[in-house]
Amino acid sequence: MKKCDLCGKNEAVMKVRQVDKDGNVTELNICAECAHKRGFSEVEKINMSVAEVLAEMKKKVAEEDRYLVCPGCGMSFAEFKRLGRLGCAECYTSFGPRLESLIRRIQGAVQHIGKTTKVGRKKAQVRMNVQRLNEELKNAIQAEDYEKAAKLRDQLKQAGKHAGR
Amino acid sequence: MLAANPVGKWLAATGMESDIVISTRVRLARNLVDVPFIVKASASDQARVVDTVRWALQDSGYLKRGKFIDNEQLTEEQGQFLLERHLVSPDFIEAKTKRGLYVSRDETISLMVNEEDHLRFHALVSGFDFPSAFDVVSKLDERLESQVGYAFSSKFGFLTACPTNVGTGMRASVLVHLPGLVLTKEIEKVLRGAVHIDLVVRGLYGEGTETKGNFFQISNQKTLGRSESEILETVTDSTRQIVDYEHKAREYLIKNLRVEIEDKVFRSFALLKSARILSSDEAINLLATVRLGVSLGIINQVNLSRVSKLLILVLPENLQAMLGERLKLPERDERRATFVRESLVR
Repeated sequence: MKKCDLCGKNEAVMKVRQVDKDGNVTELNICAECAHKRGFSEVEKINMSVAEVLAEMKKKVAEEDRYLVCPGCGMSFAEFKRLGRLGCAECYTSFGPRLESLIRRIQGAVQHIGKTTKVGRKKAQVRMNVQRLNEELKNAIQAEDYEKAAKLRDQLKQAGKHAGR
Repeated sequence: MLAANPVGKWLAATGMESDIVISTRVRLARNLVDVPFIVKASASDQARVVDTVRWALQDSGYLKRGKFIDNEQLTEEQGQFLLERHLVSPDFIEAKTKRGLYVSRDETISLMVNEEDHLRFHALVSGFDFPSAFDVVSKLDERLESQVGYAFSSKFGFLTACPTNVGTGMRASVLVHLPGLVLTKEIEKVLRGAVHIDLVVRGLYGEGTETKGNFFQISNQKTLGRSESEILETVTDSTRQIVDYEHKAREYLIKNLRVEIEDKVFRSFALLKSARILSSDEAINLLATVRLGVSLGIINQVNLSRVSKLLILVLPENLQAMLGERLKLPERDERRATFVRESLVR
């Protein structure tokens, strides 16, 4: 066993890497006593079993999964993992590297090289938008929210212009 | 609803290698832009998608060459009927939410609305024919795309609810009949080889069902990072190789075990022609053996097309739809036996 590089007396129980301003790395073997004095509190955690460490890591990942939420549809990454289905197109960007690494595992690639779509608003899209606005307008009138209704009416006028083209 | 007869054009047993390759299918998965995917779509979102797609099909002239069916109009039996005919998935008929289905008159095109993705559509053609299937499905894809607009990213391609379909959204598959490889016990080796090069092998009715009558479905597993033509090429090359192995296995059987094979084929044929009670499973297995016999020239009283069509018409819902009445067991098995007998003897 190696002796502690700091006190030179006790047996070293851990390795510490120090990086200085210039990026030079020095590795030190340190005993429990010196570690405690210097505030390397991890010394106590070494007593955790492998299973405990894994459980801790899993808990942390699960927590992250719950908080990683797509603003487009409100789906969390945890929900996606449970359902195996994404909630909307935006999930593909919202879930970022977590989803990307999963896709890499499944597909062996993360870049599409096939057929592409043409951009531009489509006839049916405009039509669908008008339908949605009409539905919302009906609801707003029923709820007697006339301010919202007026706004929706303006939007409908705009949408109608596009549809008429 | 669709009539039981005539059956889909894909069962005509025409096209290349149709003694081994029953059909070729190319399926695309697409989602409409600006609408949440199915698990997050509200009831009104889903209704709007069905309505929009129906409208787009009408506007592009597809509707007058086929039928659009609402899943709310479908009874459980009719759903099962469509499943037996390879026009819908099990998932499609189980759902209680708003869904739609378009089927072209000759049953070459099927388009499911609000299944796992907003749009799942395929072209299904007889024999080994990826160029035709891809051509049909691409045309429909382009027409729909120009009207509804798809969820697409330049990085991930066509965006799908499940990342296993993202990219091209394309599944290219063949339905093959491999009794030669099963009888020579080479099938395991061939199928393992297929899986090794990223192909998926399934029984006739897709995931989770055992293989009845030695029919297998082979398709690409990956959909991203390779172009449509690369995917088609891979599946085409592998199919060609599997067809070649099956031909060799059949040659071997005829050369070395001719009497045994003839015995098996003639016994199956005789059973079909004289049985008075016939379950659908038994009918499928016997018809599959007869199909091999026809391919090998052992039987020439019936042709491949007749046997292929029977393979669908003996299924419970197709049989009942064709006879125009609901039949309980054991009567259904008796009527099936009569129907098969009459179809083969005349």
